[in-house]
Amino acid sequence: MERREALRLLATGTALQLAPRNFLAALREARKLLDTKAAPRTLNAQQFVTVKTIAELILPRTDTPGATDVGVTEFIDLMLTEWYDDRDRSRFLHGLADVDARTQALFGENFAEASTAQQSEILIALGGRMAGNAGRMRDPREDSDSLPDANFYRMLRRLTLTAYYTSEAGATQELHFEIIPDSHDQCAALLTTKGSPEIE
Amino acid sequence: MNETTSYDAIVVGSGMTGGWAAKELTEKGLKTLVLEAGRPIVPEQDYVEHVPPWEKKFRGLGDRRRQLEDQPIQSTCYACDEWSSKFFISDKEHPYTTAPGKPFRWIRGRQVGGRSIMWGRQSYRWSDLDFEANLRDGIAIDWPIRYADIAPWYDYVEDFVGISGEALGLPQLPDSKFLPPMEMNCAEKTVRGALAKHFSGERVLTIGRVAILTQQHRGRAACHYCGPCERGCITRSYFSSVNATLPAAEKTGRMTLRPYSVVHSVMFDAHTRRASGVRIIDAQTRSTLEFRAKVVFLCASALESVRILFNSSTPEFSTGLANSSGELGHNLMDHVKAGGADGIIPGNDDRIVLGRRPNGIYVPRFRNVKTRQPEFLRGYGFQGEGYREGWERGVAQTGFGPGFKKSISQPGPWRFTFYGFGECLSNHNNFVELDKQTVDAWGIPSLKIHCSWSDNELALRKDMSIAAAEMLAAAGAHDIQPFADEEPPGFSIHEMGTARMGRDAKTSVLNSYNQAHDVKNLFITDGGAMVSSSCVNPSLTYMALTARACDYAVQQLKKGEL
Repeated sequence: MERREALRLLATGTALQLAPRNFLAALREARKLLDTKAAPRTLNAQQFVTVKTIAELILPRTDTPGATDVGVTEFIDLMLTEWYDDRDRSRFLHGLADVDARTQALFGENFAEASTAQQSEILIALGGRMAGNAGRMRDPREDSDSLPDANFYRMLRRLTLTAYYTSEAGATQELHFEIIPDSHDQCAALLTTKGSPEIE
Repeated sequence: MNETTSYDAIVVGSGMTGGWAAKELTEKGLKTLVLEAGRPIVPEQDYVEHVPPWEKKFRGLGDRRRQLEDQPIQSTCYACDEWSSKFFISDKEHPYTTAPGKPFRWIRGRQVGGRSIMWGRQSYRWSDLDFEANLRDGIAIDWPIRYADIAPWYDYVEDFVGISGEALGLPQLPDSKFLPPMEMNCAEKTVRGALAKHFSGERVLTIGRVAILTQQHRGRAACHYCGPCERGCITRSYFSSVNATLPAAEKTGRMTLRPYSVVHSVMFDAHTRRASGVRIIDAQTRSTLEFRAKVVFLCASALESVRILFNSSTPEFSTGLANSSGELGHNLMDHVKAGGADGIIPGNDDRIVLGRRPNGIYVPRFRNVKTRQPEFLRGYGFQGEGYREGWERGVAQTGFGPGFKKSISQPGPWRFTFYGFGECLSNHNNFVELDKQTVDAWGIPSLKIHCSWSDNELALRKDMSIAAAEMLAAAGAHDIQPFADEEPPGFSIHEMGTARMGRDAKTSVLNSYNQAHDVKNLFITDGGAMVSSSCVNPSLTYMALTARACDYAVQQLKKGEL
């Protein structure tokens, strides 16, 4: 059972439709999964906290949930474990190591331990390098198909934004996404209405 | 209990045309067996258009490793995503080969409904500009029919399907019987106005003509703008065989729909010179079964129907049943695309789109309509759309923090994209043959495809990028990016022409009623029948030809001519 399935099982009472013995077993398994919160499978503890720190810097908690709240780092670990090939995973992990190396060289700390101002300086530098070698994009939506990215920071940003805006909180609270739109209007006023955007 | 093995009619395939054949034949009183190679579809269980991305493991990015392993070809199609990939075949189970240096993307769906579940829904009538094209240009052979022959059948199928769109009165793109059109957005209206101003009526922008209901129609509900039609539609608002024609056939009580029935071949009786039925392999039990009927309709798609006939060779028809002309499998066409342009349309910053309209805009063909284009024959139409950039633009930006988060959740600038679909010339050297070394999961020999674009198609693609950029410039767009990408044939998923109609049995496989010249009770009404490709999406024409062929077949059957 997946964690998400487990959550749904507990939340919706789907398990109630199962036979009593299966119901108890399913419930136990679901609880166990949620309690343990599946340990990362690719990122080690230091890598995990580095990714988490960067993701939260990019999309922090404000009046809406932030990257950490919606499990961005867990999603990135899943992608590194089950989606990317060895080369891309290794590119990502090298990029991550480079973040710590840069921070060490400049500030004598690993990224996660540096001050917010120092972390921001590093992100600005990473952004500068990303913009420097970015080819022009044709269609930003088409580009979402052209994974994986050559640049580590771009890869991290894509994963962070994707995980965030396709999460329930990101999609519904930030983008006002509705699975079945309340209404449709091709030329609605922006200020008085909320959108119903494409999220994938 | 023994399964009934004898019917009035057998229809092979349950997709776009198979569904129509099933509906028409059963409504005209024929006990009809519909054979579908794939599994059954239960909309309430199988449709997934309302499953949000946060319930998908990879959030819509797809199970990349599984797809690389099992669907490396299918997953190149935009619609074969983490939700809909189950509606596409396994490339491992359904291999095919191509000639060296001639890639071809063969995108298939095997389930009840076939590709009508994930089709693009764009629906346009052909015109005499299309039906007379081969005769006028001296290409291949002439169509045995004209617009007047098919126009009543367009009326007939449109009345059932429900096509929304705007009437324009253009000779090159006849109007359908329309339901009210979907609305254009602000950017689209801007570009429409600019075309009207700068191209003096030659180039016109209209909303896509689409088999999606804008009002309740024949018991099916209006579209609710949730967006991803290719994942199914529980309100049955877009047309598919599952949503419309198969239920109509079912209602007659005369249809037997048999899923998991992989048709191996058509059986031919050399004495009566008729098809006696079909031989299938049951996909679940792997046993071989035979079914008999008075008339056989092949509606399995241009390539699959031909493959069945290749596998049905007899001593007399050693190169494939009904192939005395030698044209079976030849003249394969698809629409050339991957040419166009996009840009940013300034203005309308205070306007936004609500809902996800599952349709774009259309610019009807304007090349070689009133004036002659020296560089190429025929022409193309543009599909496209205006849209506001979404959060994806934030990937390439360098910002971060609360300000970035706030800005990126707001809509970005209006973009506009045009992408062309161009006519492909009929060419005898674009063909398929049986590849006996390559068999599918049921041991049935597959196809080797030999197909490449000619200079004419490449010239069309190049012109698409120029004309699209011109239109964007006229609309005041900036950051205009023309594109003309390499893309192999097959990817418009409009493959056609492999069993063409014609007046002469020496140069064509079918007569003007989709009836095989060589085997009177055998009909092919999928894309195989097409003599030229036009530049407009073909499904509506396949539907009209199928309904027309069914009407003819039943008349002939009653007269004892089949």
